[in-house]
Amino acid sequence: MNNFSLTSYLTSNVDITTQEVELLSANCKLKRLKRGEYILQQGALCHHVFFVESGLMRQYSIDEKGKEHVIQFAPENWFLSDRESLYFNKPSLYYFQAIEDSVLIMIEEQSLLKLSKINASFLEFNNKLLHNHIRNLQNRINQLLSSTAEQRYLDFVKMYPDLLLRVPLIMVASYLGITPESLSRIRKDLATKNFRK
Amino acid sequence: MTKRSVEMVASPREPHYVGDGFRVHNFIPSGFRLDMERMDPIIMMDYNSKFYFSPSEKPRGVGVHPHRGFETVTIAYKGKVEHHDSSGGGGVISEGDVQWMTAASGVLHKEFHEKEWSKKGGDFQMVQLWVNLPAKDKMSTPKYQAIKNESIPRYHVENNGGEIEIIAGEYKGIKGAATTFTSMNMLNLKLKSNAEASFSFPSNFNTAMLVIEGSIQVNDKDVAPTDHFILMSNDGEDFTIKATDDAIVLLLSAAPIGEPIAAHGPFVMNTRQELMEAFNDFNTGKFGYLED
Repeated sequence: MNNFSLTSYLTSNVDITTQEVELLSANCKLKRLKRGEYILQQGALCHHVFFVESGLMRQYSIDEKGKEHVIQFAPENWFLSDRESLYFNKPSLYYFQAIEDSVLIMIEEQSLLKLSKINASFLEFNNKLLHNHIRNLQNRINQLLSSTAEQRYLDFVKMYPDLLLRVPLIMVASYLGITPESLSRIRKDLATKNFRK
Repeated sequence: MTKRSVEMVASPREPHYVGDGFRVHNFIPSGFRLDMERMDPIIMMDYNSKFYFSPSEKPRGVGVHPHRGFETVTIAYKGKVEHHDSSGGGGVISEGDVQWMTAASGVLHKEFHEKEWSKKGGDFQMVQLWVNLPAKDKMSTPKYQAIKNESIPRYHVENNGGEIEIIAGEYKGIKGAATTFTSMNMLNLKLKSNAEASFSFPSNFNTAMLVIEGSIQVNDKDVAPTDHFILMSNDGEDFTIKATDDAIVLLLSAAPIGEPIAAHGPFVMNTRQELMEAFNDFNTGKFGYLED
């Protein structure tokens, strides 16, 4: 596991020994996905926390009319999981799909629990990640209810600076809860304001 | 004057698609010996080796994307490309033409097979290079040099041996068509079988060749067939090329800039901070707007 981003991600954030990293990685599996492939589909049970080693994933749902709704993007060094399925044993409502060829590390919940018990620093860091995740979800709910589409777009590009170049605009529009035409208009308006020939 | 030797002859890597219109072998930066620094200031080379595209009503190509901090040079050997940019510019690059686009502070553009050409389909063969800019010029105003084939100065090789197009720089006292920010030579050699030509560039100039057609022998020794890339050492100035077949060769020799490179996707700057600014400027419309 020494050459993986997950290892450097952990060692740079947590006071952790090589043995402890090995404890976590011993039960991890590596999964390579081609663009368009899924690691989780609606109705299935999610058994892992996924760490994106390389590539780009998205989490989305499909409504009764067949329309997709992007919940989040997960580029390199992001975690992705369906907590309702993983911790409450419910069939997932979501699809986890690769937007680019991706490499994921599949981490078992038990390994995380074990490591949390023996390493206080890891427990603290994992909690911090969870709080950060909740903070982002909270912001996203607040924005969807109260912010203008332009403000949501600006927050999106702040959170994910390079995704506009990696994700089809239709998915960005879906994430923002607007039509692709509205997204084009927002970008056009910003260009009119900010472009100096 | 000392001999410049061949460092490596590289075969083309597995091709990949850029958009759906460019089927390219990447030679730079492919890691190992050909990272962005090795051929400084040539930081990227994509080669669409001769490939037949079937007729298509909808032109294939690459949609809107930005560039900042460098120049793109497109050399068309076969086929036609149409391009448009966010400042309203556009044009067609036809067989034999060169488009030298200085993206500098920022350009949004798209590149597609030319509409009528696309309808007929045909052999397509092009090289695209990224030429880095020195820090002081990275944020200069974008510009184009649309260089038609007939305006490229030529040197006629002795004994009817063919001709050498001087795209940029100089060969045997003839100056090239393009203006450049740093010292470089870009030559297109069109040699008849058995013709020979000799070259001399300062040893610190990073030098390489790409065999577009036919095959050549360098310094009466190393042989390179079609679609192969020859990286020259920096151990001397002089070398010779002999065409072992009718050959077309793109020759690059340029003075290194020697500044730090911070590159991510379509932006090539000197620092991480400048890269972040590039993304932010692109995201907030400072590159303008262009319909897909």
